[in-house]
Amino acid sequence: MNNLSNEYKKLNIFKTYQDLFFKSLFFVSAVISSLMIIIIILFIAQKGISPFLSNYQYGQQNIASFLTGMVWRQDQAIYGVAFIIINTLISGFASLLVAFPISVLTALFVVKIAPKPIGNLIESAIEILASIPSVVYGVFAVGFIVPFIQNLANLLRIQTAGGSSLLAVILLLSIMILPTITSISITAIKAVDIDLEKASYALGASKTQTNFKIVLNSAKSGIFAGAILGLGRAFGEATAVSMVAGNKMFGPTFNLFDITRTMTSTMLAGLKETTGLDYDIRFSVGLVLMGVILISNLAINFVKNRIGKNHA
Amino acid sequence: MRKLNIKDIILDGLTYLFSSVSILILITIFIFIFQRGFSSLNLGLFTSPYWSQNYYGTIPESNRIFESDVNFDKNEFYSEKYGIALKDDFNARNEVIVVISYIHPDSPFNQLINASSGINEGKLIVAEEGMIVNKISYITSNGITRSAGPVLKQNAEETIKTINQSIQLDSAFIQTQGGGIMGSLIATLMLIFISLAISLPIGIMTAIYLNEYAKYGRFTPWIRSSIELLTGVPSIVFGLMGVLVLFPITAIFGANGTSIFLGGLTLSIILLPTIIRTTEESLKVVPDSFREASHSLGANHSQTIFKIIIPAALPGILTATILSIGRIIGESAALIYTMGTYISDKPELLKGATSLAVQIWSIMNGDQPNFGLASAISIIILVIVLGMNIGVKVLTRSKVKQW
Repeated sequence: MNNLSNEYKKLNIFKTYQDLFFKSLFFVSAVISSLMIIIIILFIAQKGISPFLSNYQYGQQNIASFLTGMVWRQDQAIYGVAFIIINTLISGFASLLVAFPISVLTALFVVKIAPKPIGNLIESAIEILASIPSVVYGVFAVGFIVPFIQNLANLLRIQTAGGSSLLAVILLLSIMILPTITSISITAIKAVDIDLEKASYALGASKTQTNFKIVLNSAKSGIFAGAILGLGRAFGEATAVSMVAGNKMFGPTFNLFDITRTMTSTMLAGLKETTGLDYDIRFSVGLVLMGVILISNLAINFVKNRIGKNHA
Repeated sequence: MRKLNIKDIILDGLTYLFSSVSILILITIFIFIFQRGFSSLNLGLFTSPYWSQNYYGTIPESNRIFESDVNFDKNEFYSEKYGIALKDDFNARNEVIVVISYIHPDSPFNQLINASSGINEGKLIVAEEGMIVNKISYITSNGITRSAGPVLKQNAEETIKTINQSIQLDSAFIQTQGGGIMGSLIATLMLIFISLAISLPIGIMTAIYLNEYAKYGRFTPWIRSSIELLTGVPSIVFGLMGVLVLFPITAIFGANGTSIFLGGLTLSIILLPTIIRTTEESLKVVPDSFREASHSLGANHSQTIFKIIIPAALPGILTATILSIGRIIGESAALIYTMGTYISDKPELLKGATSLAVQIWSIMNGDQPNFGLASAISIIILVIVLGMNIGVKVLTRSKVKQW
């Protein structure tokens, strides 16, 4: 009997240690996963700033001329990022402008208006669009959007560089961020309290009035979250954009039919050697890109809060 | 009955119009990619390397007849004098080529001696069926060396006729068919293996910690939101991170630049948020009664987790795996930085290579963009991604049925 209870104690101790071991193992994984974002920011910040420090091995760069420069020439080692930031903002916000109304109305249609089979069909189409890799969108853009713009430009008697243009980038990005915004808007609209709608009907509003004034307004917060994610994707999209952007050396580009240069296309352009200033400066661009995404997120949040005040 | 409002009609009309846009786009993309890529799509694509190998070899003398009991197709032409059969074919760029379709075991074409200068000079060339014939030089009855083959715009039939009239063959210029995706396919499989091997354990363990140990912990919201932040990071920034943070790890194993290993490590971080979120969702739906029953039977926490909770959450973990594989296959920007853009036919763990998606980028950015091949690879990627979408749907449905 005594022997058995000893065995039992041993087993209990073993089980306690086993628990402790696995708990710490799981905890360590959680810490690693959550530290990654900090590691990414720290390392890219350190590398991105390094060309502007006095002890930089390939010659110190002037941070002011980097941030305000309107020319980017790899061959002459002139790196000015200001016009690239403006180009990125233009193409990102323009594509948001195109995709946002389409996405929100599609989401509204899927959840509130369409018969169930059609709603499901559109939702599946959105899911498939979301899962198409960006490089495939790039192939589509090069083979379909670019020739389309070339023809359009010929029709309007405008010169283009074979169709690679700001307009091509905007159309491509609109298509790419459409599923992101739509699927998040669908979730947001589904979550709207049915009582609000009933109240609206009880007050004599039509179905359309209810949909547009009550449903969309209540789902606003989620819809704007979708817009933020969509904009982030538009700014950060690299491979597909670099296939149609054309990489202009100066700017900014306001003409829809002119070639452009975004931050991501700059980071991918002419990537050959993995040392030297030309390589390191890409990390500085990456750092600026992360800053732009962060600031535009804050800006959209600000807009969202302002709209909330008007309608409250 | 309320009078129909003009404004309502316009708004409704807009809704109908806009919601058809996404379906229209999807159909356009699919039709376009399939139309452009379908003719370049064939089984040989999967097994042939991207770069074609050129061979220039001298042909030894032969004075016999190579009778063959093989039944040749109508488009194959056999030379009994030299024991070789040729046929016309198309390459990945849809150009007409002449291909070796059969070689007799004793044929002089099996004993070509490499004549191009270099380390392989004088070594035996193994001519194989499927290789492209560019030029065959022969000696005429009056001792003059002449050439036959596609170089002189001859097709298979004409080439065979010409060499049959010769006294003896002199040399042959043959090459392997390029334009395949075998290397990228292998590299992609390696990527999937490496990144899942790292990402799945860490992701699942993190999800378990968040849901089973620290559901209401003080730091749990912080951990959660910092993982959520990862989803908003553009993939090209992950590429930069891989070069900076993860390259030293691969350097320990002997990598001295871009490598598949580095690409896999980078991808494993990109996958983390998806795996953690999907696994956590599936842990949440495991009923608490399962946990209570296990504990009341005397199991400790870790036993409950490994024997009860993880098996119950398996469909969710499988969903996470499938989603991750889809992401790996489609990823390009991060891999351009970490694996390079040089298409490698023999991918090695510690050397650079391309995945299928990066191969598309690479051939579209080359000097001669090969649109047909790019579309063909796009079709392959689309089909895989579509299949996985359906797989996830089926899985989610079966998970709901379970309890």
